[in-house]
Amino acid sequence: MSYNYIELISLVLLAIGCFFILSGSLGLIKLPDVFSRIHAAGLIDTLGSGFIVLALIIYSGFSLLSLKLLLIPLFLIFTSPVTGHAIALFAHESGYKPRGKNKK
Amino acid sequence: MAKLNKDSLKTLSFITYFIILFVFWFILSGYLKSLLLFFGLVSVLFVFWMSYRAKALEEDSLPLKIILRLPFYWIWLFKEIFKSGITTTALIWNGKYSPQLISVKASQKNRTGIANYANAITLTPGTVTIEVDKKTFLVHALSKKLSEDLQTDDMNKVITDLDK
Repeated sequence: MSYNYIELISLVLLAIGCFFILSGSLGLIKLPDVFSRIHAAGLIDTLGSGFIVLALIIYSGFSLLSLKLLLIPLFLIFTSPVTGHAIALFAHESGYKPRGKNKK
Repeated sequence: MAKLNKDSLKTLSFITYFIILFVFWFILSGYLKSLLLFFGLVSVLFVFWMSYRAKALEEDSLPLKIILRLPFYWIWLFKEIFKSGITTTALIWNGKYSPQLISVKASQKNRTGIANYANAITLTPGTVTIEVDKKTFLVHALSKKLSEDLQTDDMNKVITDLDK
């Protein structure tokens, strides 16, 4: 009985993570320019992967494996801003202007 | 006296770094046999020697003072990421974004603090640090609300307090 309970929680968290990844992918297509698209990619990196890893930790139970799983978001926390910043800085340096107004 | 104090602080930070490296090795391997633990110790010592040689163990790069506050800071940061993530998701779905560039002042004293602040801004969805110019950041925000959240200076204060 308690097993089903744990399964349900991890299922809900997986669904939330998938929703954030879907929104991020939608944003990658929909948003107007490079700078705005970085935000969408950041959404996938932080919340999408975070919720999915949390769901996997709860599903697999607490062991050494869950510590290993925790290392994934830890590394993403350090690396994802660096990539986002690198893309934004390069776009800025090569003279790309962000689109100001809402196009819709 | 002051010099001695500085030296002992450095030794303490070396020991902490060593412990962190060994715990990291253990989490990744999970072995408990003594021979394999010995091999782990050798590899940890090798990495330690390499980072000492690369001068990566300066005081600035290994701030001992903040290491205890770090978990609380991460919990707070996750809350911020969640809040602005929901805002960004709503913006993507309803299409009411209005991207804008703002400049943000940073009040951290050392380089680690400034890098930490810039990373935190980029990490929260909806805001990206484009350029760091000494103490001012050029930040691209996805909407007016997100940029106003940043200009209330809450995040700046929390990260400055981290290094007290």
